[in-house]
Amino acid sequence: MNTKITRREAGALVGAALTGAFVPGAARAQGRQIVIGGLYPLSGANAQIGVDAKHAYDTALDVINNKHDLDLPLAKTEGLPNLGGAKLAMTFADHQSDPQKGRAEAERLITQDKVVALIGTYQSAVANTASVSAERYSVPFLGADTSSPTLNKRGLKFFFRAAPHDEFFTQTMFDFFDEMKKKGKPVESIALFYEDTIFGADSTTVQRKLAKEKGIKIVADIKYRSNSPSLTAEVQQLKAANAQVLMPSSYTTDAILLMKTMAELGYKPPAIVAQDAGFSEQTLFNAIGAAGEGVMTRSTFSLDLGQKKPSVGKVNELFKARSGKDLNDLTARQFTAAMVMADAINRSKTGEPQAIRDALAATELPGDQTIMPWRRVKFDDTGQNNDCTPVLLQRRGDKYVTVFPAEYAVADVAWS
Amino acid sequence: MANAATIAQILMSGLLMGLIYALIAAGLSLIFGLMDVVNFAHGEFLMTAMYATFGLVVLLSLDPLVLSPIVAAIMFVVGAFCYRVIIVHAMRARTNVGMVQVFATFGLAIVIRGLAQFVFTPDYRSIPKSWLGGQTFSIFGVYMPAPQLAGALASLLAFGALWLLMKRTDFGKALEATREDAGAVGLVGIDRNRVFAMGWGLGAALVGLAGAILSIFYYIHPDVGGPFALIAYVTVALGGFGSVFGALAAGVIVGIVEAISATVLQPSMKAIGIYAVYLLVVFLRPRGLFGH
Repeated sequence: MNTKITRREAGALVGAALTGAFVPGAARAQGRQIVIGGLYPLSGANAQIGVDAKHAYDTALDVINNKHDLDLPLAKTEGLPNLGGAKLAMTFADHQSDPQKGRAEAERLITQDKVVALIGTYQSAVANTASVSAERYSVPFLGADTSSPTLNKRGLKFFFRAAPHDEFFTQTMFDFFDEMKKKGKPVESIALFYEDTIFGADSTTVQRKLAKEKGIKIVADIKYRSNSPSLTAEVQQLKAANAQVLMPSSYTTDAILLMKTMAELGYKPPAIVAQDAGFSEQTLFNAIGAAGEGVMTRSTFSLDLGQKKPSVGKVNELFKARSGKDLNDLTARQFTAAMVMADAINRSKTGEPQAIRDALAATELPGDQTIMPWRRVKFDDTGQNNDCTPVLLQRRGDKYVTVFPAEYAVADVAWS
Repeated sequence: MANAATIAQILMSGLLMGLIYALIAAGLSLIFGLMDVVNFAHGEFLMTAMYATFGLVVLLSLDPLVLSPIVAAIMFVVGAFCYRVIIVHAMRARTNVGMVQVFATFGLAIVIRGLAQFVFTPDYRSIPKSWLGGQTFSIFGVYMPAPQLAGALASLLAFGALWLLMKRTDFGKALEATREDAGAVGLVGIDRNRVFAMGWGLGAALVGLAGAILSIFYYIHPDVGGPFALIAYVTVALGGFGSVFGALAAGVIVGIVEAISATVLQPSMKAIGIYAVYLLVVFLRPRGLFGH
């Protein structure tokens, strides 16, 4: 046999070393590695979301695997103490915002990379398919940043979500409208503007229901095609409807185009209350400049929570050193998802999927051990955490400030 | 809903966007007419032009409008380079030439997109300040955003210049002759490879001009070309394969049909209007409106 290593073999060795499959003896002796899978869009229109998500998860792994003086689970120890100090690692797959690719990549991560749990996916439409794959293989799936309320109502035993879904978010928006009514500034008409996948559909289903209950008139109900080259006709309809509050459910590309087209057509609604997504992204405000002033969005997180929770500022510094950006609603939820998952894996003692699932179901993490404004993390029978209060943020200058509810607000809302 | 101002606004918006669609489709149509190659990297050419504009704006602090001829020139080089390095080899295929060309340009598209994501990151860019950005003219309540107006004018000028080039210059005649019979032109001393390279350069320069103006009012992203390219293919097929001026008419039709169907139908179904018109033309006149 030829003892020379061929180029192909050398490539395979390097590949194996890079993926961690070829762990040197010394490292192996220190303990095992637990690998969880991350499903994100790493190419295509939403690729930046995936890139930022990786930074958020790397920050969480740093906190879990190394010693940090933070009031967060597993921060003060190295690795997972109940698993002999095993290190937590993540391997990422690119679902390209495509539900079918998401399903296939989930299967690949489970069967080939042998991940013990999955986290993802940004788009609810992808979580919808990928979590069914996870269920089939009895591998726990934690929806980090998906907000469609139908996801946890499918009877899945391995699906969990620590963050609020759109019903919580929308409820908060309408609670805010009630609050404004008490202050003598009632909201009488709203316009719904939403993209044509599960996110937009689910978001507006709740908005329609609550508007009806509160007697608020929906003067425009516009479903648009996402990633359209132009939104001119759509904005003309919004303008003609002239609602008091515009409520968009849009991802980043459409949010940029919407705001730019509104400026071009001379349309400025008295208020915008957005369903997060594109409106939580700094890139949107870089693109539209001053037109973003006063825009409101729901969120699970705000940097000014740091005034009440010191760990927020410290985690933000760790994240910023990696990504060059501040934590936002999405990256904070991703970081928190990794912490919740790590806590469950540690309590599972074995690191096996079924044991992790049972540990997740038994999770009871107090809110002050998270970076979120939540009471606690505890999953109900459907895998949903119900103790996670969303907040409303308003754009002031170059940042968002929390304006609702009162217990987390750092500024008064500007509302005409 | 259907008052006169609204209808005028729909038609005006459709017309402005349609002229921009036409400008984007012009290069695609030119290349197809010249050598029967559908350039599947056309959207990526548009994206490259937008990044080139963005880079030059950052580097030189000039307005995108001033930079548009420079961007067109850069794209001319890019187009001619792509022909010389890739397409010329694809055209030498012995069997299945059409398929080889499709895969070559499709592969080129993936490579350009991948490179853009690697080099520029998938972050959304936009040009923060420009002369026209955010400016709008309003006549009788009909809004005409300045960047779209500039795009529409540039489109008309480009088609005018293209007409002069085709009809009044030796190069235009060589282009026309090569289009008629690429084999025979060699006999009269025309280097067909040179003409093809110029054709690719010109096609890319046209989409470069569109990209420079688009970058004033649109976000810049490695995937930005996709939706525009799809419309460009429909525009070319609707106008008639290879008819550059058919693309002008078809672009305007697509723009207006899109604006009307977004209003009459649901906005999420506006693409249906475009494809319905396209299908109708394919059924009734398979060679397109102005196809030979």
